[in-house]
Amino acid sequence: MTQDSFQERIWNPPAAVPPGTGGTVAGGRVTVAPAAKIRVRDLNFHYGRFHALKDISIDIPEKRVTAFIGPSGCGKSTLLRTFNRMFEIYPEQRADGEILVDGENILDSRQDIARIRARIGMVFQKPTPFPMSIYDNIAFGIRLYERLPKPEMDARVEQCLRQAALWDEVKGKLHQSGTSLSGGQQQRLCIARAVAIKPEIILLDEPCSALDPISTARVEELLKELVRDYTVVIVTHNMQQAARASDYTAFMYMGELVEFGDTATIFTRPSKQQTEDYITGRFG
Amino acid sequence: MKASEAAIAMQNGAPSAGQAWRFPADPLFRKLTGGIALLVAATLLAILIALIGEGWHALRVFGWRFLVTGTWNPVSGQFGALVFIVGTLISSIIAMLIAIPVSFGIALFISELAPRWLRGPVSTAVELLAAVPSIIYGMWGLLVFAPRFAQIEPWIDDHLGAIPGLGVLFRGPPMGIGMLTAGIVLGIMVIPFIAAIMRDVFLVTPAALKESAYALGSTTWEVVRHVILPYTRTAVTGGIFLGLGRALGETMAVTFIIGNSNNLAASLLMPGSSIASVIANEFTEATSDLYKSSLLALGLILFLITFVVLVFAKLLLLRLERGAGSRP
Repeated sequence: MTQDSFQERIWNPPAAVPPGTGGTVAGGRVTVAPAAKIRVRDLNFHYGRFHALKDISIDIPEKRVTAFIGPSGCGKSTLLRTFNRMFEIYPEQRADGEILVDGENILDSRQDIARIRARIGMVFQKPTPFPMSIYDNIAFGIRLYERLPKPEMDARVEQCLRQAALWDEVKGKLHQSGTSLSGGQQQRLCIARAVAIKPEIILLDEPCSALDPISTARVEELLKELVRDYTVVIVTHNMQQAARASDYTAFMYMGELVEFGDTATIFTRPSKQQTEDYITGRFG
Repeated sequence: MKASEAAIAMQNGAPSAGQAWRFPADPLFRKLTGGIALLVAATLLAILIALIGEGWHALRVFGWRFLVTGTWNPVSGQFGALVFIVGTLISSIIAMLIAIPVSFGIALFISELAPRWLRGPVSTAVELLAAVPSIIYGMWGLLVFAPRFAQIEPWIDDHLGAIPGLGVLFRGPPMGIGMLTAGIVLGIMVIPFIAAIMRDVFLVTPAALKESAYALGSTTWEVVRHVILPYTRTAVTGGIFLGLGRALGETMAVTFIIGNSNNLAASLLMPGSSIASVIANEFTEATSDLYKSSLLALGLILFLITFVVLVFAKLLLLRLERGAGSRP
């Protein structure tokens, strides 16, 4: 199958067709198109009366980095926050439609919210270390689900901090406050905290917007590591970041999904004029 | 500072090149408001000096034993503050034991659990509790609450009074009025102050921090226990001490319901007295200089206790405000 006909069929227009049926070029390397981890079907979202997401359907591939880009207010963070039902703690927010994670509709209110959130980790725009020690920041999430004896807990904390490329910087001060770390370190602590509960999916909501370029580069490297084990979805304002760090990119505008495809194609040969205008900097 | 003053002076038409003289409104306004603010501080100092001056006679006669003597006998001219200091502290402690958990629940409900439409009304209702004059609480306590409380006091006597050791606190005749009654009514009176501060600081806990905890799958209680409370603990403590400051100095309601006995009793069901209530009761009867001086010395003690508690509360609240900027 040629690449063009594949894209025709799978990614263009915004796909509601299950992937997993062919090969594609993603991020410059040839891969087999992975199965969808998250399938969104006809998702609509309201903040009170404001219609923030309009009939979104998208398939997020497993063990890949998928980036959501678009101008401020386009709904990319809103979409991300539906994946772990974070909107539920705000009474005036409402989502309708289906979000299937491994075939289970997580919007179904019968689903146990804690179990969903245990499967889906999240990292926020600003680093949000809890007001406790570095060690306890990691152990907190683990303790919600497991009773581990001390040596095992120590090993788990170390493993998570290593995964987040933070261990070498904090191993001597695990019992200092998490807020004493630098911004970049705090954000990696939050990533370590997210992986500590062994999720399947990690959602990152503009994780680098409060970080300096060096910390940003470290987090992006980290994404490449994480994607071996996790499905990663990242919202970013920064198009270069999406181009560098993601395998797939979704462009959103005014609450609609305009275009979704592999990152190389979106950035080199977008099929929609709006996408081209945005990535070439004509608006947004 | 110099430069900004110069800029203000220029704006207000201090004689600069080519401009006519104008009325120096701003400097005058600054002096006026500054003077008023200083007046408040001066009043505080004056009160302290007056209390020390007036109470000096008693303090000189009785010395430090004024603080630890339990006798208060106007007839023989023997005065000691112990009964009233203990009464003030005990009734306030009971008040705090009641007010802290209830306020915490109210604040939690308003900030985390209540649907949006219910938040406003509940908040307002709690704040209105603070607007009820204390004499109303006193009358309500004496005429409504105490008679009903007297009906459950035999139960308290039977059950809590039977606890070995602690039981001594709960034995006594069912009079309705007494230390426990005063503590309970005081507790109700300080709830709005503590609840309002707790609610405000819970609401300023960054949403991202709460969301991070929810994102790990925490329940609301786990988020409150492990994230919100540690984050706000300084301000919560400050709010509690602010409430304590109010409870310590409350006069009218306590005078109505504490029972006004000058004897020290182990049981909380027995009547007692607080510093404020004894002053309110006896000031008009104070015939001798020593008697009057002793009451004013009591006032000085109350002033110092309350002052220390409030300063402590302010310091804690201030620390949170300063810390808030540097937190994520």
